[in-house]
Amino acid sequence: MASAPLPEARAAVPALGPERPVVWPRRAQSTLANGLQVVLVESHTVPKFTGQLLLRSGNAAAARQVPGLAEMTAAVVRTGTESRASRQIEEDLRRMGADLSTGAGADSSAISFSGLAEFSAGLLELVADLAQRASFPAGEFERERRQRLEELRIERTTPGFLAGERLRKVLFGEHPYALVAPTEAQVEGYRREQLADFYREHYQAGNALLLAVGDFSAAAMLEQIEKAFRDWPAGKPVERQEPAPPDLRARRVFLVHLADTVQAQVLVGSRAITRRHADWHRLGLANSILGGAFNSRLVLNIREQKGYTYSPRSALHALRQHGYFSVHAAVRNAVAAATLAEIFYELDRMRALPVSEEELADARNYLSGVFSLGLGTQDGIAGQLATVYLHDLPEDYLETYRDKIRALTADDVLAAARKYFDSPNAQIVVVGDRQEVEPQAALFGEVGVYDTQGNRM
Amino acid sequence: MAKLHIPIESATLANGLRAAVSPDGAAPVVTVGVYYNIGFRLEPRGRSGFAHLFEHMMFQGSEHAGKMLHIKLINASGGVVNGSTHYDVTNYFQAVPSNALERVLWLEADRMRALKVDGENLRNQRDVVKEEVRLNVLNQPYGGFPWLDLPPVAYRNWPNAHNFYGDFRDLDAATLEEVQAFFKTYYAPSNAVLLMLGDVQTEEGFALAQRYFADIPSHATPAPADVSESPQTEERRGVVEEKFGTLPGLAIGYHAPERRTPDWCAAAMLDRALHGGRAGRIYRRLVLEKQIAVDTEGGIHYPLGDVFDCNGPTQMVTRILHKPERTADETLAVFDQVIGEVQEKGIGTEELEQIKVKFRSDYYSQLEGGRGSYVPRYGLMHCLACFTLFDREPQLVNTILEDFLEVTPAQVQGIAQKYLVPRNRAIVLRQPAGKGAA
Repeated sequence: MASAPLPEARAAVPALGPERPVVWPRRAQSTLANGLQVVLVESHTVPKFTGQLLLRSGNAAAARQVPGLAEMTAAVVRTGTESRASRQIEEDLRRMGADLSTGAGADSSAISFSGLAEFSAGLLELVADLAQRASFPAGEFERERRQRLEELRIERTTPGFLAGERLRKVLFGEHPYALVAPTEAQVEGYRREQLADFYREHYQAGNALLLAVGDFSAAAMLEQIEKAFRDWPAGKPVERQEPAPPDLRARRVFLVHLADTVQAQVLVGSRAITRRHADWHRLGLANSILGGAFNSRLVLNIREQKGYTYSPRSALHALRQHGYFSVHAAVRNAVAAATLAEIFYELDRMRALPVSEEELADARNYLSGVFSLGLGTQDGIAGQLATVYLHDLPEDYLETYRDKIRALTADDVLAAARKYFDSPNAQIVVVGDRQEVEPQAALFGEVGVYDTQGNRM
Repeated sequence: MAKLHIPIESATLANGLRAAVSPDGAAPVVTVGVYYNIGFRLEPRGRSGFAHLFEHMMFQGSEHAGKMLHIKLINASGGVVNGSTHYDVTNYFQAVPSNALERVLWLEADRMRALKVDGENLRNQRDVVKEEVRLNVLNQPYGGFPWLDLPPVAYRNWPNAHNFYGDFRDLDAATLEEVQAFFKTYYAPSNAVLLMLGDVQTEEGFALAQRYFADIPSHATPAPADVSESPQTEERRGVVEEKFGTLPGLAIGYHAPERRTPDWCAAAMLDRALHGGRAGRIYRRLVLEKQIAVDTEGGIHYPLGDVFDCNGPTQMVTRILHKPERTADETLAVFDQVIGEVQEKGIGTEELEQIKVKFRSDYYSQLEGGRGSYVPRYGLMHCLACFTLFDREPQLVNTILEDFLEVTPAQVQGIAQKYLVPRNRAIVLRQPAGKGAA
């Protein structure tokens, strides 16, 4: 241990050292004869690998006929194949030291997996089995359906869930993105054949993308994948045109009444853009300054100065066809109106005044730095790959992101804020006890009150 | 299976601060943590929630870094920062591009040397913490279930039995003098370990530790506290009202063997046989086969930690949400059948082999990640800190797995017979009030 302490230098913040280059790992890409797209990255940090089999169809693909169908299908896919019963699947996974989960969002369904590298062939065969030969056992379907019903009842007592569900309804109208979850009656009405039909149409090789990152050689991994997936029939579902979301003019307030709450869940939002949009980076930077980081205006204001809330944030939500922007905070009932006032103050400040050079530089460094923090882990790389390929981003998205962020100016931020932080037309959702929060919510516009099931009260 | 050989070097500074470095050049990113050997178990009596409130105060300003400067400097360096309070440790950690390493060490050293906070900071963070408690406990279905519900039923000694998030009147009563006294008592260099993982060379790491931390004055390491429990002689039960959720909840906690004792590893294997996801016996029987429950989860030191990060009394906990048309007694009877079977018949060799493979696999993942993808090697940092502070053996990171992989089926059965008995357990019912979903 060398170098003596330097008490005289104690007051000075050490400067940053020279930056070491960020190098994104090489991606081995190929497409099997049946159309399955494969992306592989070697990462030898631990003797494991992680991956996702992604289908480019999610709840939006069937929302109008059967809301939540992709999610329900994914849940039952895991419970049986032509050759494996549920218990066999779970024990096979444990034998290989593997984790597996199935699920679906608005745009995609996924079989996500990770396991010991030494058992990769077996795990890929299991994933292929689920993707190609799921048998939808009647008993398992019925069990999952009843479980879903109970989970749904709990979700509709959860303030954060209720707020998000209402905002999506408001922002997306007739577009399937409006539907976050089914009603209880819709789940009651699920039939096994509907799941099997969705599976036949959407779990096809031409609709799929297989990502894997881990302790393997890409060439050997590709051989295992070809062996496991080559018999999957080619084909892809027909893409449908969806109705346009509504053009929302004027601020409106939506109150979801949940009895006896001790906090108001406040959510303000408006439609924004997809990740492919030319404004994506500059809007990302504006969001970071507003409320996308711990060191942001919103956190400084309503947490560190006023103590209204624990974890306020703003966020961009990019779906494949559309995107939206939101600001959220859970606050004690008494300060619901005060919180909304501060949120609109911060939105309007972003629109009215350019950010300072210091704030700009800090935020550029933040976004470009955190973008590559996950680079040294298998999960971190896999997460970035999924974003790139699911959103059909340019090949060099990862490699150019940091430079694009660093090139942005205060004018870019101002322009993005003026275009997308549309406070006069922002939609306000408040979840809480009507008696406590309705008078405060009404200060910000005409209030529509809903129960937790989505009915107008 | 190849033995783990994660490079780890450790050293102790003259003031008692321990330092550990684990170099790894996979990415130009470094994770830096400071762990203090104090958690909410030992917060002052009458000041429930104080250790966590104090953790918030550590972000409110130090001698040369005023309020928000720490967060601003880390974010502006392209990194993330946070802290968390556990039973037996409190950690402060950041992941940054490696060119910010010195800056991080300067910030952590500054707040280890002196906390500079005022009454306004304390009032502000008391409000923030109350909102955190409202968000996570008072305004959520099943908030605090079972991590806040079980301890007051299961334990008799205040350190183990109190409300770790804090009664609001205790939070309100906390003073600035108590903040400084807590700092003086528990935030001594000799009660802490500094960890650097990732893009840092060993010699560089130690030189920087010396440079920034060596002149922090040493003060007395706090004396060990008595957290022992008197032996339990009969089953303990409690009831808590569930304000929002629609399903009845049931939590069962059995006192677990002490860390690094002969029973400890076997108990971990037993725990995986019972919990261990959808292949575990409890989920399989209650959710998949009998369909009396909608969800079950559990583990040793669940849900806040695991076998590695606990240094005092803890339990093997099962959390069940069961169907409203079935009673708690019916549900418990099915659970007891599962326990009875393990006690009578033990577990199979093949089952134990599967559990060991999964345990090894989970351990690797834990070391690499463990806190999303934004704090790389959080899990390695966490294990390394606990093995250093609790066991004084940082190299356990590389060797501890072997102890678990030697457990036999007979040992697992023996543990089930010895520990999974009614007089060694506590049960909490979380009963829906039935008016939430208006």
